Amino acid sequence: MTNHWVDLKNADVIMINGSNAAENHPASMTWIHKAMDERGAKLIVVDPRFTRSASQADLFVRIRSGTDIPFFGGLMKYIMDNELYHKEYVLYYTNAATLVVPEFKGPADLDGLFSGFVDDDGDGFGKYDQATWKYQADAEGKPLRDETLQDPNSVFQIMKRHYDRYTLETVSSITGCPKDSLEAAYKMYAASGAPEKTGTILYAMGQTQHTVGSQNVRCMAMIQLLLGNLGRPGGGVNALRGESNVQGSTDQGLLAHLVTGYLKIPSAIDHPNLAAYLEKETPKTSYWSNKPKFFVSMLKAWWGDHATAENDFAYDYLPKVESPANHYWIKLFEDMYAGKIQGLWILGQNPAVSGPNARLEREGLKKLKWMVIQELFDTETCSFWRAPNENPADIKTEVFILPAADAMEKEGSIVTSGRLIQWRPKVAEAPGEALPDHQVFNLVALKLKELYGAEPGLFAEPILNLNWDYGKELDIEKVAKELNGTALAEIKDPEGKVLAKKDDVLKTFGHLQADGTTACGTWIYAGYYGLADDGTGRMLPASKRRGQKDPGGLGMYPFWAFSWPVNRRIIYNRCSADPSGKPWSEDKKLIWWDEVQKKWTGYDVPDFLPTKAPTDPGGTDPFIMRVDGKGGLFAPLNEGPLPEHYEPVETPVDKNPFSSRLHNPVIKIWKTDKDKDVGDKWGKPDKFPIVATTYRVCEHWQAGGMSRWLNWLAECQPEMFIEMSKELAAEKGINNGDKVKISSARGEIEAVAVVTARFKPFMINGKSIHQVGMPWHFGWGGIASGATANDLTPHVGDGNTTIPEYKAFLVDIQRA
Amino acid sequence: MNGQPKESGYVQIRWIPKYTFIERFLHWVHTVSFIPLVATGLVLFLPSLQALAQGEAGIWMRLVHRLAAVLFIAEPVLYGIVQPLRLWLNIKEFGIDRDDLGWIKNAFGYYVLGKHADMPPQGRYNTGEKMNGIVMIVSWVLFVVTGLIMWFGKGIVSAEVFRWMVVLHDVTMIAAVCMFLVHLYLAVAHPLMWAALVSMRFGVTSASYAAEHHAKWYYGPKRARELYEAQKKHG
Amino acid sequence: MKRKAMLIDESKCTACRGCQVACKQWNDLEGWSYSKTVNHGSYENPLSLSPQTWTRIKFTEYDDANNFRWLFLKEGCMHCGDPACVAVCPTKALKQKPDGRVTLERDLCNGCGYCSQFCPFGVPQLEIYGLFSGDAKSSKCTFCQDRTDNGLLPSCVKTCPAKALFWGDRDEMIASGKKRVDMLNKRGFVNANLYGENLVGGLGRLYVLIEKPEAYGLPADPQYPVLTTVWQNIVRPLGKVALGAAIIGIAAAWVIIRRNIKMEEVE
Repeated sequence: MTNHWVDLKNADVIMINGSNAAENHPASMTWIHKAMDERGAKLIVVDPRFTRSASQADLFVRIRSGTDIPFFGGLMKYIMDNELYHKEYVLYYTNAATLVVPEFKGPADLDGLFSGFVDDDGDGFGKYDQATWKYQADAEGKPLRDETLQDPNSVFQIMKRHYDRYTLETVSSITGCPKDSLEAAYKMYAASGAPEKTGTILYAMGQTQHTVGSQNVRCMAMIQLLLGNLGRPGGGVNALRGESNVQGSTDQGLLAHLVTGYLKIPSAIDHPNLAAYLEKETPKTSYWSNKPKFFVSMLKAWWGDHATAENDFAYDYLPKVESPANHYWIKLFEDMYAGKIQGLWILGQNPAVSGPNARLEREGLKKLKWMVIQELFDTETCSFWRAPNENPADIKTEVFILPAADAMEKEGSIVTSGRLIQWRPKVAEAPGEALPDHQVFNLVALKLKELYGAEPGLFAEPILNLNWDYGKELDIEKVAKELNGTALAEIKDPEGKVLAKKDDVLKTFGHLQADGTTACGTWIYAGYYGLADDGTGRMLPASKRRGQKDPGGLGMYPFWAFSWPVNRRIIYNRCSADPSGKPWSEDKKLIWWDEVQKKWTGYDVPDFLPTKAPTDPGGTDPFIMRVDGKGGLFAPLNEGPLPEHYEPVETPVDKNPFSSRLHNPVIKIWKTDKDKDVGDKWGKPDKFPIVATTYRVCEHWQAGGMSRWLNWLAECQPEMFIEMSKELAAEKGINNGDKVKISSARGEIEAVAVVTARFKPFMINGKSIHQVGMPWHFGWGGIASGATANDLTPHVGDGNTTIPEYKAFLVDIQRA
Repeated sequence: MNGQPKESGYVQIRWIPKYTFIERFLHWVHTVSFIPLVATGLVLFLPSLQALAQGEAGIWMRLVHRLAAVLFIAEPVLYGIVQPLRLWLNIKEFGIDRDDLGWIKNAFGYYVLGKHADMPPQGRYNTGEKMNGIVMIVSWVLFVVTGLIMWFGKGIVSAEVFRWMVVLHDVTMIAAVCMFLVHLYLAVAHPLMWAALVSMRFGVTSASYAAEHHAKWYYGPKRARELYEAQKKHG
Repeated sequence: MKRKAMLIDESKCTACRGCQVACKQWNDLEGWSYSKTVNHGSYENPLSLSPQTWTRIKFTEYDDANNFRWLFLKEGCMHCGDPACVAVCPTKALKQKPDGRVTLERDLCNGCGYCSQFCPFGVPQLEIYGLFSGDAKSSKCTFCQDRTDNGLLPSCVKTCPAKALFWGDRDEMIASGKKRVDMLNKRGFVNANLYGENLVGGLGRLYVLIEKPEAYGLPADPQYPVLTTVWQNIVRPLGKVALGAAIIGIAAAWVIIRRNIKMEEVE
């Protein structure tokens, strides 16, 4: 999130789209209710289905799965046509006024494509040469701007032309949502464009798990920029993370393209040495220009004294990827399926249930030579080799099951969606021999060092020289200090003032150095384990604090735990004040320029150089992580600098009303074994006319490993089910509670039919199209067992992140 | 009395059969089941006994109540299976007739004041015994119906019906226990009824007693009437 | 002592079932291994209160001409101001505490089941261990009597992530409930109402409902069963009088008749 949970109470309007917050983040309702009760805030829920969240809403808007860009595009058109955007904010804080080179062309001119599309093999899919997607610049490289917003090459006019096609009629026709419902939602949300009002958008997998997922999120960012909601209390672009420490895991680089702190993983081809990496990856402007300090400090943390200026700080020890590299989930499992992967180590996942095209992925598990899995329960992945219909004698994988301690049985930190890092004590003993994950890895690392010490082989230095001094029984505090960062020598600022003494735990990443005098495992965490005041004078590691003072009453609670970066609660909060440094409104004043003290002050840590005055150069460039300091309305991603609607790969329609391009042009559609029983098969509406989506329910947790084995939860939701409209049920002769068979091109499953008025058929392009939905929690194990929804989902992902398109595919349904 | 002088201190009695072994046995079964039923039931009725109703003790009380109830229910059923004709004949004997009115008019003077009143002839059972029998039969039916529903009927009959059963069970108990107390006194302590207990224990009653108190049974209805009319004429 | 009550704001409830599970956790109740629930075509499970389910969420899809609503109702003991169950409990296992909570001491319960049949809402659940022996125990929500006895919140109230549950002085609960209903009325929920203020002596479990009680399956006008009064206040006292009179009458008769009728004179 750019904001945080408690901040929701400051919103004047809340839109939940692509999330079922009441269902899956029930505690969020406390703050949403506060906004509704105390501020009179309005809640809009956009979803194909009337959910638990919709039951709380003032306005429920029903759209077909996979049509978020039309919905958002229509909203942007509405905002621009009716001039409801926050004018000063858009002008000064975004790149609306920035001019783009005239060679740039968009889908309105190029029938669904942007300029620069390259399709090498003529299959309709390829990639973009982004050369024409840049700003016009002056001799010094500074972007040119037209502050009247009238220049046809200005981002603002380009956007207007681009979204001009997204009329209410067209949007209504493709989403299946009636025009008056769309308009009511647009009006309600666009009201937050008023300078004194803010609105927040909450989203989750319903936005991201599409082939256009990243562009869905871009839409939300653009809308929030247009309405002046980013960087302000009650605003922001707010992702509700899907499990309790996924935020922590991405912070620590557990994504295939990153190392810690969202730094890119180096490529052996593009970044042959440290200088090449730092040169290529460090922009000249924006706060990212400090990247070398973050990256070198990370290397120092990992290889300690063995990382020196002479050896490029052990850059050669760091594993690298190819170029282009794709080690994301779908590719990983395709490689497994092709027999290319020997071993798989799994923690906290149940891929046999959660993976897309799960039948193919389970076949992939069988091709492994070995698998290690750390788990609490004997899940479908632990026992994939003895699932029903499997013959263990045919499977050669050697499986090691390590019993794991759960979250209450170990000490450490967890990060909320709002970037809040809260340290937790251990409160229970793990049963039997179960170990915390960190201790398992500690033992593995120590053993590897021992083995490589005895038989070094070709290149054992990366392991032998790895800094690993946490003790036989891992001391988590040592790890925390390493992640936080420490000074290895005295650190002085350019004027000679001492910022940190040797061995100090760093208070901020502002003290990090690129010369090897600081070590820091994760630069954004700097300060989370340093001693800090909890508001009563008590000093303790910042993330352990539970101070309850809330200066300003906006719910920032600066003394409670630690929010990265540097305890900042709302990022880009320069936006909360107008260009002159005055807050936009009294009741939402967060930070402001103090003319007397000549610094920014207020109720949050300023996301800005504290001494840079509004009138200084760059004084109105709040987006400090962006090269031009302006919010990116126009911002390149793989499939374009502006979101454009493309249908999900399995779509019920044969025409895209906005262009003749049906699908996202940069995605990879896998076709492995497409004619076999198990493989990457694709369904068409003639055989599979019903739109399907998957989702979660409150009572179960992800792939069910932590809930389907529990009596109390299994009692609440004992069986796999599928929700469908009464109209569809009547057509198929299905009664509520009947068993039904659901089939896609990839598989067939059985479930209980929940026939409900909460789903209704959609009128799409004049035709009635049904949509159904099912939870993806179930597998054959546990007390609450059932068929796996992901047997039906496809192996295709987003154009940038390859996150699978779990949310929109095609099925057919029969009575069982 | 039976022609023997009083001076010797002996009384010679000519015994005639009244109750079969089965009838006596089942009567005592009835007694032995009724008393625990009342005792365990009173535990739910009298606040002074509440401690016995609670917890472990309470569950035992209810178990005993049920075991006794099985006996209580079985007794007349067994009677009907083993001696159906006698059951039927006995039930017929509980029919009300004109002589019962006369008994009621004279009962207080006769039984309490000891006046040798002008009692109309009684059958196998006098009016009082008939009342006792009717109360016992009706209360048996009520106890069994309400009791079985209270025992097995939760969830089968509506809550409304169940409540009626509970209240009716209580009402029936009050009537039946009052009746039982009177029955107990008369059977055990009332001088005039001495033969009753003997007959229920040994199955035989005194012929002269029967001739006096159960004339319609001893002589037959016609003859008893003739004797009664004659006695009335001659005072 | 001031009467305490629980306010359940069904306009905030998201039916997450946290309360359902928290109750089971605190009171050591069973889940699926006992109830063996299946999906009947709804999120609702179990389908009724049971000896192992003392509170549960009822789901109703309610369609009227103007609105579609998904209604959630947290069922459980209403802790009536006039508790019929307490009136009929022969062991005083059920008690009405001075603060209004209707508590249940399992140790005292003899399993008679009268409470389950006299409750106007059908709340107490009798668990029958032996149908023939009569061995049984009753159970119901007690507002976590062991927690509330010690100044803690009931387990469900403490858990509720949507902050839809409140526990405190009854008059305060009523006041804030009414305020909430007012706000809901203004927001367009014209049928919103506060349920339980004056029913059955005033309920200890109060609801802010967004539709009329009937839409939720709640009785609009539940009554303290007349038979309870008839039984406990008429039949029983009269019965005791009758039995007492019978005993006294018989004792008197014994004394009097002894004097009037001598055995020796009897034929």
